[in-house]
Amino acid sequence: VTYKWLSYTLGVHVNQAKQMLYDYVERKRKENSGAQLHVTYLVAGNLLQNGHVCHKVAVVREDKLEAMKSKLSTIASVHVYSIQKALLKDSSPLYNTDYDIVKTNLQHCSKFSAIYCAAAVRRTPPEAPRAPASAQSPQRQRDPDAASAVNGHGPPAAKPPPQQHKGIMGMFAAKAAAKPQDTHKEAKAEAKEAPGVSAASSKPPTKNNIMNNFFGKAAMNKLKVNSVPEQPKEEKEIVKPSVAVAEPESSPNTVAEKPGKKTESARIQLKDKKSKTKRADRSDDEEERDPENGKKKRKRIKQLQSDSSDEEDVPPSPTPEEERAPSPPPVPALKTELEPASTEGSAGGKKRKRKRVLKSKMFIDEEEGCMGKPG
Amino acid sequence: MFSEQAAPTAQGLLAPPSAEPPTFPRVPVSGYSDCSQPFQLGERSFSRQYAHIYAVRLTGMRPGLERRARSRWGSDIELRKLSELQAGEKCCVVGTLFKAMQLQPSILQEISEEHNLVPQPPLPKYIQPSDELILEDELQRIKLEGAIDVQRLVTGTILAVYGTEQDDGGFLVEDHCFADLPPSLPWNGPSSDRFVLLASGLGLGSVSGEALLSTQLLVDMVTGQLGAEGEQSCAAHIARVILAGNLLSQNTQSRDTINKAKYLTKKTQAASVEAVKMLDEILVQLCTSVPVDVMPGEFDPTNYTLPQQPLHRCMLPLASAYATLRLVTNPYQANLDGVRFLGTSGQNISDIFKYSSMDDYLEILEWTLLAGHISPTAPDTLGCYPFYKSDPFILTECPHVYFCGNAPHFQSKLLQGKEGQRVLLVTVPDFSATQTACLVNLRDLTCQPITFSSFGADSED
Repeated sequence: VTYKWLSYTLGVHVNQAKQMLYDYVERKRKENSGAQLHVTYLVAGNLLQNGHVCHKVAVVREDKLEAMKSKLSTIASVHVYSIQKALLKDSSPLYNTDYDIVKTNLQHCSKFSAIYCAAAVRRTPPEAPRAPASAQSPQRQRDPDAASAVNGHGPPAAKPPPQQHKGIMGMFAAKAAAKPQDTHKEAKAEAKEAPGVSAASSKPPTKNNIMNNFFGKAAMNKLKVNSVPEQPKEEKEIVKPSVAVAEPESSPNTVAEKPGKKTESARIQLKDKKSKTKRADRSDDEEERDPENGKKKRKRIKQLQSDSSDEEDVPPSPTPEEERAPSPPPVPALKTELEPASTEGSAGGKKRKRKRVLKSKMFIDEEEGCMGKPG
Repeated sequence: MFSEQAAPTAQGLLAPPSAEPPTFPRVPVSGYSDCSQPFQLGERSFSRQYAHIYAVRLTGMRPGLERRARSRWGSDIELRKLSELQAGEKCCVVGTLFKAMQLQPSILQEISEEHNLVPQPPLPKYIQPSDELILEDELQRIKLEGAIDVQRLVTGTILAVYGTEQDDGGFLVEDHCFADLPPSLPWNGPSSDRFVLLASGLGLGSVSGEALLSTQLLVDMVTGQLGAEGEQSCAAHIARVILAGNLLSQNTQSRDTINKAKYLTKKTQAASVEAVKMLDEILVQLCTSVPVDVMPGEFDPTNYTLPQQPLHRCMLPLASAYATLRLVTNPYQANLDGVRFLGTSGQNISDIFKYSSMDDYLEILEWTLLAGHISPTAPDTLGCYPFYKSDPFILTECPHVYFCGNAPHFQSKLLQGKEGQRVLLVTVPDFSATQTACLVNLRDLTCQPITFSSFGADSED
């Protein structure tokens, strides 16, 4: 049990955690309960070393505490670092405990720290639709507007997104071309989950269309086949769907586009294991592709049905939302891949779809290369 | 610095839980501006020869050197180009130095079949008594002899020599001088204590994990979780953290997989992938609490040639979400609260170390400042981009803090220049080896090392 672990587990300030540990040790020792507690302390102070004054910070076992304190000319701080039942041979269990607890709390790892940095705000992309994601992140509450320019978009953007969200959902329900909203919702959820790479600035609307086309064409099989570890990339894509395409996109839902969007959202969904938005997307594709994808379609329809119920509530949203939702591919090359794919007829046989699957898969793998190979 | 302020409440946390503990706000970032635009490369084209760098360097530094020469040896001395030299006449020549070294690894020798040589293993130092110095200018070159320390100087330095041409064609040197410290920048430092933490050589991804707890302690201390209240309030004065290179360890560089067959290596991941993930987690912890500048180093996934471009933010997805993370170039130059920082990740200094008799990193650092150039060996023995318009490594303004990363030990010195320049020279030690980082106080330009330690299997000393 280290002070940091205690602090995260109990949700208290780190200084309080340290004091709690000390208190516990004192009490147990007084009770003489017989259970041997081994305590490690953190000592920090000045030390004369190599001719200059060096500030030393050390984790020491209890038996070495006094020795260390006497070595330091001035002591800056002493506190309990951890308590354990067994005598530690070396400090790696301490490190491992801390590492694990921090890893599970990476999003708000400074919440219980003694220093609060006003400048550490989440970067929000300038486009409004992405704001909901940042709005939902736990950091939001503590982030003053001052620090980063990007941050300025955060709070004002927080208000429009909910309506946009609803609007988007409405669009979906209204038009049965639910993909953009799905991906949008997906995007929000995704962005909530992981601080995606937010740097993607608004991609041109054309890319959206092309992505849509691509998704439309690409087989649903691909979606199933995609491996889950594509999540990081997916997160990027998810965040991108919320890229605000300022100008309303006309000609939103050609059949080609729809499948494109759907595939994308479906892919994202796969990665995400969130079926909601994707289902809605897929339902559209489903109907179109009934003759092509037999049993897979069935699965999707089921998912879609459960999904579409969610989307019913949302009031209609403007068309641009829809256009915005499909995420522009993180890599422009993907776009070029999509373009040839989209130019082929949507009625392409499974063979073509497979090709596209392969292409995009290769793509994903390539992209995965920088994020780590899947599996 | 730290300790004196913190001492009163040192034992404060050895007590039962008290009322709500205080939270200290971090000193706000004020007056930060990034000045490393010359080191950022836009379009890169390698179709040019490297001779242009030397030409540009010479023309860039010639005026300054001529001024120095006049002020040193009299304003009436003759300044000649090599082509105008007359035997027996005392004059001053400005040119580029070239050191002909026998042991210098040469790719031409390696691939030359007639020699049948095995490639030379890397040596710590390549100097030999038989090395020669040759001075070159735009048109000619001449061998240098005399009062000049052959072992100490390296290729690529621009200097002015004063002497006479010999009959045998050599140049007898009586004295030489460098560009010396450039003019200093006005001092706008903060009036209260502000600290900047310099650390380098985190060495993540190495096989041994001893430095991991120390790295965690460093992060905890900076983010304010470690230490008693006094120390935490002092840590709140750390305005910035600069990580000067080598965030990944050398172990991540293994290139064996290139030689193996594809089917054997299909499932293996590059070691740097795991290391970068670890780096991302550490950076997230730091970024939520303090602005961080990350410079790439020798073993980091970016380009090899100087100037190294910033790491790409897609490698650090978690940390990039925070505006406090800045990915910067190597070398790095910035204005922090009115104090000009300039530093590298250490490749330039270690390269000079290999080709010169100077052993002390601090001495080499000072010498580069006096020579007026961050990395004179750049195109010759250290990879460099073929600049042709201007050489960004020439020092035109004197920084207030000049640092180099990945040095073997911590050293620092306050250098006073002739024209009133004040420079703090800091050699930032390799954290994975020494567990030491440096804390620079911006108010009075002092530097203090901070060491972290944990207990291992053997008892502590």
